[in-house]
Amino acid sequence: MKRREFMVLGGTAAMLASSGTAWAAGKWPSKSAVVISAYPPGGTSDIITRLVADVLTAKFGQQFVVENHAGAAGALAGGKLARAVPDGYTIMVSGSAPIAANKVVQKNLAYDPQVDFTPISIVAESPALLTASASAPAKSLQELVAYAKANPGKVNIGNPGAGTKGHIAAAIIGQMAGVEINHVPYKGSPPLLADLLGGHIHFALDAPSNYLQHIREAKIRGLAVTSPKRTGELPEVPTVAEQGFKGYDQTLWFGAVGPKGMPADIVAAIRGAIKEWIDTPAAKEKLTSLGLTPVANTPDEMRVSIQREIESIRPLVEAGLVQPT
Amino acid sequence: MDIFNGLLLGFSTATTFGNLLYCFLGVLLGTAVGVLPGLGPIATISMLLPFTFGLPVDTALIMLAGIFYGSQYGGSTTAILMNLPGEASSVVTMLDGHEMAKQGKAGRALAAAAIGSFFAGTVGTLFIAISAPLLASLALAFGPAEYFSLIVLGLITSMVLASGSLLTAFGMALFGMVLGMIGTDVNSGAARFTFGTPNLLDGLDFVVVATGIFGLGDVLANLENERSRAAGVAPVSSLFPTREDWKRMVAPILRGTGIGVLLGVLPGAGVLLASFSAYALEKKVSRYSAEFGKGAIEGVAAPEAANNAAAQTCFIPMLTLGLPGTATMALMIGALVVQGVQPGPEILTQQPALFWGLVVSMWLGNLMLLFLNLPLVGVWAKLISVPYQYLFPMICAFVAIGVYSINNSVFDVYMMALFGMLGYFFRKVGAEPAPLILAMILGPMAEEYLRRALLISHGDASVFFTSPLSLGTLSVAALLLLSIVSPRFRKVREEGLQEAD
Repeated sequence: MKRREFMVLGGTAAMLASSGTAWAAGKWPSKSAVVISAYPPGGTSDIITRLVADVLTAKFGQQFVVENHAGAAGALAGGKLARAVPDGYTIMVSGSAPIAANKVVQKNLAYDPQVDFTPISIVAESPALLTASASAPAKSLQELVAYAKANPGKVNIGNPGAGTKGHIAAAIIGQMAGVEINHVPYKGSPPLLADLLGGHIHFALDAPSNYLQHIREAKIRGLAVTSPKRTGELPEVPTVAEQGFKGYDQTLWFGAVGPKGMPADIVAAIRGAIKEWIDTPAAKEKLTSLGLTPVANTPDEMRVSIQREIESIRPLVEAGLVQPT
Repeated sequence: MDIFNGLLLGFSTATTFGNLLYCFLGVLLGTAVGVLPGLGPIATISMLLPFTFGLPVDTALIMLAGIFYGSQYGGSTTAILMNLPGEASSVVTMLDGHEMAKQGKAGRALAAAAIGSFFAGTVGTLFIAISAPLLASLALAFGPAEYFSLIVLGLITSMVLASGSLLTAFGMALFGMVLGMIGTDVNSGAARFTFGTPNLLDGLDFVVVATGIFGLGDVLANLENERSRAAGVAPVSSLFPTREDWKRMVAPILRGTGIGVLLGVLPGAGVLLASFSAYALEKKVSRYSAEFGKGAIEGVAAPEAANNAAAQTCFIPMLTLGLPGTATMALMIGALVVQGVQPGPEILTQQPALFWGLVVSMWLGNLMLLFLNLPLVGVWAKLISVPYQYLFPMICAFVAIGVYSINNSVFDVYMMALFGMLGYFFRKVGAEPAPLILAMILGPMAEEYLRRALLISHGDASVFFTSPLSLGTLSVAALLLLSIVSPRFRKVREEGLQEAD
C-alpha cells in the first residue's frame, strides 16, 4: 500500500469513527445512534436491547449501535444515559434495576431515574426463575428452605446484580420463610449461569431466558417461577406461591428510556416503532421462546410502573432485608 | 464438533469473498502499522473499532486479528533495515537483524524473519485448533476463585518478565490497578477516585491510556532518533537464504515457536516477552553464541518465530475464558461484545463459524503475509522513508481522532496527551508500561472475582488453596516470584532483557 492510499484509508476510517458527533439537527435520525445495554452480552436484558436496536435500525434506516456498559446492577449504564445529550441519539433498553430499583437500593446512585430519564415504553415482562445446580443440596424450594434452616447463613443465591429483581425476589422468599440468605451479585446472567453450571454456586434467581435450554437438558434444575401461574415454556416448574408462599408474585420487566428532556416527537417515533414490532407474530414468537411476554405500553404507563416498582421495594430496604449498597 | 469438521467449517467461513478481502485488508494494514514506528496495533485497532460495527462479527474479528499479527511481520522489516523497532516486539530483532543488514545480508535476515514467522504462525493456529476446544470444555471448572488466581498469575508473569527492575514492574502494576479502580464501583455503584468530575465516573478507558502511552509516547521517543535515522534504509539484496542459513535457522525457529506458543497462552506474557525469552534461550543454547549481536541469523529467526506464535495463541484464553491476557486482546473482546458475542466457553458451541473461521483465516493471513513481506519488501522500505515531519503529525491527528471517537469526549483527548507524556517519562526512566496496562485491565476483574469468591465462601479465604486448579495456578505464580529471587535465574533474566535495552 502506498503512502497516499494509506492516508486516504486512514482518513476514511477516522471520518467514519467521528461520525458520532452531533452536527445535524434537521430530521431525526440523520446519523447512527447508540442503544445502551446495561448488562453484558448474552443475558436476557441484552438480548432484548439488541432486538430493539435491530427493530429501530430497520425502521429508521440508521445504525442503532448497542453499547454494553455492564456493572453495578445497571447503575453504570444508567449514569451514562443520564449524562447523555437528550437528542434521540442515545437511549437505553434494560431490566428495571437501573430504571427504578437502584433509586432505593443504591446509596450512591449518581442519578435519579424518576427525574433524569424519559420513559419510552416497556417492551416485555416475565417471571423470574429460581434454579439449582446439579450438585445443589436441595431439589425443590421446600428443601431449599429446610436446608437454609438447618444451615443458617450458608445458602448462597446468585443474582444478576445487587438490587435486580432476582435479588429482590430472593430477599422476599427469605423474609417469608424466615431464613437468612447470602445474596451473591454477578455482572449479569452469563457469568452467573456459568458458575451455576460449574457448581461454583448452588442457586440462582434470574430472568428465565438463559436457563431454559439447560433445564431441558437437565444440567440444572428449575425450582420455582415467581409468577402467580406456571409459565408456558416451563410447565413442569411449580410457582413459588404453590410451594407454600401465599400471594407471592414478582414480575420483572424490560423497557426503553431516554435521557431527561428528550423531544416528545422522537419519544413517540421510537415508541411507535417498538409497538409496531411487538404487534407482529414474529415478535411474539421470538419473545415467547425466551420465556418473555411481549408488552408495548405508553410513556405514562411506564412512568406508573417505575413508581410502583420503587414503592414496592422501599419497605424491603427500610426493613433491612435488602441492604443498600 | 471435531477438529476436522471444525476446520472444514472454518475454511468455508474464511474463504468467502468478503472475509478474504477483510483478512487481506487487515494484514496489509497490520504490516503498514508494524513498519511505521510510532503507530502500533493497539492504536490502529482502537481507531478502526467503530468502523467494524457495521460488519458481520466474523469479518470484523478476522480483520482486527489480521492487523495484530500482521504488525508482527511488519515490525521486523523496520528493525532489520533501519535499526528502529517498528513494533515493540521487534526490539530484539534489531540486535542481529540490523547487524546482518550492515553486512549486506538484509534480504536474508528479512527472509529468516518472514519464514520463521510463517512457520510459527502455522503451528500457532494448529495449536489453537487443538487446544482451544479442550480448554473450553475445562472452562466450567473455573469458578471465581480459579479466575482470581489466574489473574494473579497473569499479573505476576507480566511483572517478572518485564524488563528493568522487578520493583519498578511491581510499581507499574500497582499504578495500573489504581488507574483501573477509577470510576463507579461495579458492586456498589460508589464513585471512586473521580475527584468529583463526572468525566471520570465511567472510569478511564484503557484505550485512552494505551494510545497515550504506546502511541504518543512512541512518537515522542522516536523524535530523538530523527537525526541518527538520517543514515537511512539498508539496501536489500538477495532474498534467498543460503543452504548454510537454512541449516542454522531450523532449530531456532522450532525452539522460538515452542516458547511463543506457550507464552502466548499464559495470560500476561504477551508477544514482547515471547521474543525476549526466545532470544535469551537461543543465546544460551546456540553453537554460534559468540556471533550473537554481530549478525547471527538465529537471533533473528528465533524471536520472530516466537512473537508470531504468541500473537496467535494469545487468542486462546481470550476466546475460551473471556480473559484478556494483553491489551490487544481486551480490544478484541470489545469488538466481540459490541456485536453481542460474549467470549467464553460457550463461544465454540454458539459461534462455531466465528471461532473456526478465525482460526483458518489466521493461517490464510499468515500465508498472505509471507508474500506481502518478502517480494514486496521494497514498497515497505519506501514507507519507512516517509520523513517524520509528515508522518508524526499524521499519527498524532489519527490517534486524537480515534480517542475522541470512543466517547466523543475532549476530556479523553487531554487524558491521552497526559498519558503520552507519562509514556515518554516511563521510557526515559526504563519502566516498561506493559504491566501497567495489563493491571489496569485485569485489576477490576481481579477485584470482582475476589469479592465474589469470598462472598460465596462466607469470607473464608482458604478457597483459593483448597481448589486444586486455583492452588496450582497460585503455586506457579509463587514459583515465578521465587525464581526471580534466586540469583541464578535473575542473572539469566537480566542478561536476556538487558541486551534488548
